[in-house]
Amino acid sequence: MTALLRYQAALLLRSQRALPPVILYAAVLAIGVQSGQPVLDSLGWTAAALLPVAAWLVRICATNEPSAARSCVGAAAGPERAHLACVTVALAAAGALGVVATVFVTFISDATSADHQIRLSAVQAGAAGLLATLACALLGTAVGALTTRPLLRSPGRAVPALLLGALLALVVTGSPARAAVSALVTGSQEGTVPVPVLPLAGAALLTAAAIAVACALTIRRSS
Amino acid sequence: MAREVPEREQQRLRLEGVGRRYGRRGRWVLSGVDLEVAPGALIRIEGANGTGKSTLLRLLAGLDAPTVGRIVGRPRTAYVPERFPAALPFTAADYLMHLGTVHGLSRPAAADAADEWLERFGAAEHARTPMSELSKGSSQKVAVAQALLAEPELLVLDEAWTGLDDPARGELEGAVVERTAAGGAVVFVDHDPRRLAGRPDATYAVVEGTLNPRTGNGDAHADGPHVVVRAQGPAGTAPPDEVTELAALVEEAAGDAHRITVPESRSDAVLRALLGARPPWHVVSVEPEPEPAPASVPDLARGIVPRPREPESIETESP
Repeated sequence: MTALLRYQAALLLRSQRALPPVILYAAVLAIGVQSGQPVLDSLGWTAAALLPVAAWLVRICATNEPSAARSCVGAAAGPERAHLACVTVALAAAGALGVVATVFVTFISDATSADHQIRLSAVQAGAAGLLATLACALLGTAVGALTTRPLLRSPGRAVPALLLGALLALVVTGSPARAAVSALVTGSQEGTVPVPVLPLAGAALLTAAAIAVACALTIRRSS
Repeated sequence: MAREVPEREQQRLRLEGVGRRYGRRGRWVLSGVDLEVAPGALIRIEGANGTGKSTLLRLLAGLDAPTVGRIVGRPRTAYVPERFPAALPFTAADYLMHLGTVHGLSRPAAADAADEWLERFGAAEHARTPMSELSKGSSQKVAVAQALLAEPELLVLDEAWTGLDDPARGELEGAVVERTAAGGAVVFVDHDPRRLAGRPDATYAVVEGTLNPRTGNGDAHADGPHVVVRAQGPAGTAPPDEVTELAALVEEAAGDAHRITVPESRSDAVLRALLGARPPWHVVSVEPEPEPAPASVPDLARGIVPRPREPESIETESP
């Protein structure tokens, strides 16, 4: 598995296809986050914006190889494991991106409630932001895994499905991503730092299930 | 040279009543396929285009799951696709290093094996070339090298010879024979009926989705043209076991020399075994078996034309 992960990570780094989503993420953060704004609001934005980026990264990793090369790796390691490595690398990339962004946003933001009246601990706020960010990275990965190969192969359907999936994951009631982000926003209004562990656990479960389905289908839907 | 694969450790692959269709209402691409791939077996699959050959190979390589029936056993597998348009952001050597580790080699072993196989296929000068700049033939060499470098227990070749130049084609045939001699199984499809002519242990034809054994073309001992290797070892020693296994005939000749008659496609393996023995044997001469060659008569009678080949390439072993 280490060899597969290293191969997929090298593929992602060297292909430079990860650049557009990273730039998009930076741009969205630049629009929504300014220094001196209330920390939890900014962290909520940081987490929410990562979800579509994570989904996009999964799509990039899953479609990075020509199918002939994918077959060579699949025969050697098993197509399920090869696909698991793809998705894991995408998740790790999204997670790393989210951690960097969260630390940076925590650093430049004002550690207060939304009305700047109540002081908050920057460290606690940052930790809450990390939990929410990881929940969004996970759920974005789930959306990505369910809207690319092997489930949806034609880009004409896969890309709209990815966008719609990412949007729904952020707005549908009961979605762990929405729960995590709104915990931060509510906390900001109330002047308390939430601990969105439950949304993170929910996101982890949903994502594990989505990845399991995608990996199991690699040998059922191949052609 | 080749790593021996002990038979007991190796998993044999068995297809039991396997059928495959794509989609719930799709037509059956394959149905009722029973096939056992024993260690060391060389199996040829034939069939017209679109009959399900490639699907069968993908099932064998574990890239695809059967819709019905089951596949038992999973040897360490390597697969070579027909075309390898490698738009990958690696150099050939880096890609092979990655694939070597995916196949289970350590990084240094993978790097060594990558160099070795690129050299055998005459692509050593492309080691540092980005994959995207390789010619079709060179990227096919990389595809073949990735499959061979970890000495797989099962090698699945889907028209792997297509796109290779002549020396590389010969080298791949030699590598296939070596692999089977070392106990690995090889299943291949090739449009050229002369490919490894007379060597497969079994030949099957895929006809309308069913697998039918072909008779009359699967004699393991009809080995095509032979060559005679004269080699000299330390006084009083017999040739290495590996040589004896590969050879059709080993005779003692004058002056501590041995006269080894071996099918042409295994001659590289014999030479490697001789040179790699400790202490190494001295190869005195390598020449085609003088006519009439008894072993090639049945081949001619069956109408199999021996492929014209250059006198054997001993230099593959030397740096």
